[in-house]
Amino acid sequence: MFKKIILATTGSPASFGAARVAFDMAKRYGSEVTIFHVLGVPTKAFSHVVNDVRTGEEVEVDADYLAWVEEELKTTYAKQFAGAENAKIVLATGMPPREILREARSQDADLIVMGASSGDSAKYQRGYPGSTLQKVAKAARCPVLTVHRESASYWGGFSNILFGTDFSKQATSAFKFALNTARELDCDLTIFHALDISGKVLDQDQIEEQLIVARKRIRATYVPQMGDFKNFDIEVWEGAPYVEIVKLAREKQVDLIVMAHHAHELDAEKAKIGSTVEQVIVRANCPVVSVSKPDKV
Amino acid sequence: MPEGILCNKTPIKTDEQLKLVLSDSRGTKYYAEMLELEVDSDALWALIQKTMKSRTKTWFEICAHCGLCANSCFLYQVNGRIPQQVPSYKIQSTLGEIVKKKGKVTNEFMRHCMDVAWSQCTCCNRCGMYCPHGIDMGVMFGYLRGLLYSQGFVPWELKIGSGMHRVYRAQMDVTTEDWVETCEWMAEETEEEWPGLEIPVDKQNADIMYTCNAREPKHYPEDVAEAAILFHVAGENWTVPSEGWEQTSLSMFAGDWECCKDNVQNVYDAIERLNPKRATGTECGHAHRATVIEGPYWTGRPDGLPPVPYIHYVEWLAEALRTGKLKIDPAKRIKEPVTLQDSCNYVRNQGLKDVTREIISYIVEPGYFVEMSPTKEHNYCCGGGGGFNGIGMYREQRNVALRTKMDQILDTGCKLVIAPCHNCWDAIRDLEEEYEIGIRWSFLKPLIIGMLDVPEHMLPKDEE
Repeated sequence: MFKKIILATTGSPASFGAARVAFDMAKRYGSEVTIFHVLGVPTKAFSHVVNDVRTGEEVEVDADYLAWVEEELKTTYAKQFAGAENAKIVLATGMPPREILREARSQDADLIVMGASSGDSAKYQRGYPGSTLQKVAKAARCPVLTVHRESASYWGGFSNILFGTDFSKQATSAFKFALNTARELDCDLTIFHALDISGKVLDQDQIEEQLIVARKRIRATYVPQMGDFKNFDIEVWEGAPYVEIVKLAREKQVDLIVMAHHAHELDAEKAKIGSTVEQVIVRANCPVVSVSKPDKV
Repeated sequence: MPEGILCNKTPIKTDEQLKLVLSDSRGTKYYAEMLELEVDSDALWALIQKTMKSRTKTWFEICAHCGLCANSCFLYQVNGRIPQQVPSYKIQSTLGEIVKKKGKVTNEFMRHCMDVAWSQCTCCNRCGMYCPHGIDMGVMFGYLRGLLYSQGFVPWELKIGSGMHRVYRAQMDVTTEDWVETCEWMAEETEEEWPGLEIPVDKQNADIMYTCNAREPKHYPEDVAEAAILFHVAGENWTVPSEGWEQTSLSMFAGDWECCKDNVQNVYDAIERLNPKRATGTECGHAHRATVIEGPYWTGRPDGLPPVPYIHYVEWLAEALRTGKLKIDPAKRIKEPVTLQDSCNYVRNQGLKDVTREIISYIVEPGYFVEMSPTKEHNYCCGGGGGFNGIGMYREQRNVALRTKMDQILDTGCKLVIAPCHNCWDAIRDLEEEYEIGIRWSFLKPLIIGMLDVPEHMLPKDEE
């Protein structure tokens, strides 16, 4: 299920965590990995003059420049490249999220791996609100694995998956992905729902009633889909969902969190508040996979 | 060396030659070859005799050298009001001299003409409005560009630009397959949020055919998706052609007349093939000028009109809002000071000033719209028109030119600028990058999508 992985990277230190996971998956699961780098945003004419995404400088994209960028990436990831047989570098110019989506579509990729906020320079935000990750996660047909922090608990491979559900349509796809991954890689799977009580003062009986309902709902919705898969347990409690998910992941030493990503407002101001999955991404100690479409799960 | 390998009198006609010229970083070798390029005076004079008609001759004769055009030119104003920037001087000292000397001019002089034609005039046509005799030096510079192009004296980027049009029939290397695939991709990406949305390619007898700018499929395909969303919500029976979808014309900026005609013919052929009732294009100024205003003459249409009514996107939008096909949620209207850039190519040159303002009246809370000064048909060029934005060699001059628009925007006190033209949009982006005055800018499409009052049945079904 991880045949083709695209590592979308700026090549900056903030992307090293994502690179580590992508290369490790390539070695462990025999995936093909494409190191995909959008080197600049076109400024004028035929895309030959771009603002370099790392320096912000205006540069001319010619054979020399491309060779130089490729060399830089090879040096950056020298260690990882050493053992990876199925790795290649693809360079592009354009708006990063758009080009990442284009590459994923043309390769029919199974997974996009990226950092969450590596090099989001102001240059390519201008006129186009929303972060690269938000745009990719919203539109990608395949799951998007994000590594924001240096994945303290990630030792290689996945063995313990946490699936956080809000019972949405997208969560159905996210669940399938979590289950299939758990099956294929022989992982433990925790299905978790946090009853959102943030900012509310609720009667305790009411809370407990809702917890029972949620637990029943998980049993009715997800358990029948699991067939002979038995390595799962179910957890339900109340709190601020992102906090509870991060806490539970830490407690259980989870190495992969799977959640739904909802298509929502890309307006920079509104998006700042962030959905639960975005909050989890920036806080979790392990990779987070967001799923919004049913195609590649 | 009369003809260079990269810089010569022959248009780029093959992908091979296109890649060869493109691979010459910053046109270094191209411009070096230009220093040696021979002027074929006989051919130049023959071309002038064949193409310079009575209007241009009359304009040269009746110019009273009164200098009233000086202040009308933003490049004169922003460049220290030097006499060399007076429009009448600029054209008399270039095209005027070539004509006087019957084409017997030097290589050095031709290069000087190139500098003036592409870095001292954006063909915004504002001078023509202020000249007591109605002499339009923008039109004359357009003509001069054609003469210069025929002799190979054209900026590197524009030689490539018209080459792109010749090879790909688009200003960028977007093939028919790329284009159709992009339409499929965008329909797929958008349909989840807009159930039932389609991007119909090559549909016969649609009510309206949509054309765009190759920049959109190449880099900003969401623009195609946005157009589709608005057509979808408006319930429009629309289509895009698989061939003849590219409406822009860098060849017009380059002065490549043969290619200009071919571009437009290609679009008209699509109209003839698909037989739509009307056509419209994206939020682009020069594309509209090329296809709708100049195009009928280039292609020799006797009525001076495109094969079917070809309206600008702002006309379609205004109509859709006026007739209630698109409804704006009053609560979502713009409630901050906002100003509007007038695209020279369809406001000054076609008179659509009231159309854009009608749109403003629907989407901006009363009291928040601030006009630039001067405004409407008197508004200044964005600073990057006529190809100026895209020419590396004249980047510095272009950046100076942006100051006029910057001052106009600063004077409005607005932080949001609506720019329904690709070229203006680019220029305003660049001016923010260059001068950092803290503004945002936008096309109309995304703004309107954000404030639509969408009928219930068009919304995606509840998620649970």
